[in-house]
Amino acid sequence: MRVVIAEDAALMREGLVGLLADRGHTVCAAVPDAGALLAAVAAHRPDVAVVDVRMPPTHTDEGLRAALVLREKHPGTGILVLSQYIETRYAARLLTGNAAGVGYLLKDRVADVADFVDALTRVAAGGTALDPEVVRQLLGAHRDAHGLTDLTPREREVLALMAEGRSNAGIASVLTITGGVVEKHVANIFTKLGLPQTEGDNRRVLAVLRYLGSAGT
Amino acid sequence: MERMAGPMSRVLQAPFTAGTLRRLLFCATGVGFGAGVLFAPAGIVGVVAVLRSMAGRDGPPGPVASGFLVGVPAAIVVLLVSATPAGRGLAVIHRGLAARLLGETIPAPAPLSPRGGPLSRTAAVLRDGAGWRAVVYSLVKLPLAVPQGYAVFCWCAGLVDLSYPFWWRLFRHHPPQVHLDPVPVATPFGAFRVATFAGTFAAFAAGGAMVLAAPWIAHGATALDRALMRGLLGPGRLAQRVRDLEQARARAVDDSAALLRRLERDLHDGAQVRLAALALNLGRAREQLGAHGEPPDLAKARELVDAAHRGAKDALAELRDLARGIHPPILDNGLADALATLAAGSAIPVRFTADVAVRPSPAIEAIAYFTAAELLANAAKHSHATAVTIQAAQHGDVLRLCVSDDGVGGADPDRGSGLAGLTARMRTVDGRLYVDSPPGGPTRIAVELPMQA
Repeated sequence: MRVVIAEDAALMREGLVGLLADRGHTVCAAVPDAGALLAAVAAHRPDVAVVDVRMPPTHTDEGLRAALVLREKHPGTGILVLSQYIETRYAARLLTGNAAGVGYLLKDRVADVADFVDALTRVAAGGTALDPEVVRQLLGAHRDAHGLTDLTPREREVLALMAEGRSNAGIASVLTITGGVVEKHVANIFTKLGLPQTEGDNRRVLAVLRYLGSAGT
Repeated sequence: MERMAGPMSRVLQAPFTAGTLRRLLFCATGVGFGAGVLFAPAGIVGVVAVLRSMAGRDGPPGPVASGFLVGVPAAIVVLLVSATPAGRGLAVIHRGLAARLLGETIPAPAPLSPRGGPLSRTAAVLRDGAGWRAVVYSLVKLPLAVPQGYAVFCWCAGLVDLSYPFWWRLFRHHPPQVHLDPVPVATPFGAFRVATFAGTFAAFAAGGAMVLAAPWIAHGATALDRALMRGLLGPGRLAQRVRDLEQARARAVDDSAALLRRLERDLHDGAQVRLAALALNLGRAREQLGAHGEPPDLAKARELVDAAHRGAKDALAELRDLARGIHPPILDNGLADALATLAAGSAIPVRFTADVAVRPSPAIEAIAYFTAAELLANAAKHSHATAVTIQAAQHGDVLRLCVSDDGVGGADPDRGSGLAGLTARMRTVDGRLYVDSPPGGPTRIAVELPMQA
């Protein structure tokens, strides 16, 4: 996997480079700001870019804006946005219209190296990776939404993992159940929430998010 | 001739300094204003009289009499309603003149912005305290036109009198048998006449005295005017206090918002990053150690654990500094202990004395502490001082903190934003900051804070 990293804190940047190198991935460039990120992606055409939200000069949402530009200009490059905080509005902006090859994770997640690299691989392959925290906030905000109350606790767990962007196989391994059981749960969820049955992991994510009323707002 | 020096030269130069000329100009405007106010009503009365006489000649007396009956009350109402806006309008001019010519900055009172229907607007205009005070000023200023006119007269007529001996010979070289009228010499005590060249020296003396006296008369007349303006054209003591408090509150709110923002930034860019990097390194180390059995790359794992260990210590130090920056725990033991600790940690040797018998309120202690810390940091950064003295003493309701150093001086609250920021922070609790820092040093900065915030 060929990766470009944009992160202003040198400690974090070096850590990320080392982490990906340990795993045998190629880091084409590691840059400290959004302008350099756009240039690096244009030059290297990586599989995926890891982007910090807050970067110089204003330390607000440079990374996010750069990510939106990248998605527009280089649809072939996946974008994984990292942030110290989870803002559901940022997630909504990222996922508007198309959740393919987009990820939004809390920075802490890099500590779980295997999960992080999994998510990155998923995004690089055109899938989706949403932080469980985003999903938790959205589910919390829509606790009383019609249909959610009908779900069993297990189904809610599956729904959350689905919203994070995991495939049925991924969900099965997290919950240590068989793929068949996951499929049954997913079918039940789609029926109970009145969602259309869709193929592809990222389209499932979009369907769930649209139900939760976050995407596109 | 030797250059004149000392008080003598100052007296002789006084009539021609820029300050005196500006004051005289101000006096002249005062005279003009007085004349305007006096003659404007006379003019109106004259116009009315003319109109009346014309009406009396041309028309029957009935309508005029009834017009008069309606007109006078109407005029009074118009006068009452227009008094305060007119007063305020004139006040703007007076304040402008005072600022331009006397260097006296008088803050404007809050503008009157009446709302509602015409009736409530009229009521608001009639109740406009600042407006009425401006009207009073305009009336009280009238008699002031006398001394102010006196100053202008002394200066102008004095210069004319001074000139007599210089032109006398030019115009008065007539034959002895020709008799010319004596020339009048104007003085404040009436005019006298001179007929001979010797007489012009009396005019010269009178003129000199008048020109020399003019600055002092102008000074006195404008000083009185200034006092009146401060009292009558400003926002009023209570309103001024309210305004000061509003400004102080706005600053306090801005300060605390900025403080929280900075705190978030410090945490985000400091400890949070360090901890995230630490977690990342530990995660990588765990990967290297593997789930079970022999670790594939023990050296690498050790290196990563080392980095994580360093990161943890760095994060701790960073958090400790941050926490101490928010509130130094030693401050709970009292200001004296906190300042002593501060002094002990200073790069420049500090002599510290404290005489604070009663503990000020916590907010005051904190402000005093952080002020001392900032002043000490300033001294270390800019002064090249070799010794600093910090004194904290309680005088009744006032806590006095004094930080002085033997450095190069030149600290200016108007230039350095640090001192300006401190001054602003003082004001939120009615404290004061005095800076005495001539170029070349030494610097002495005194802070006075109320004991209770």
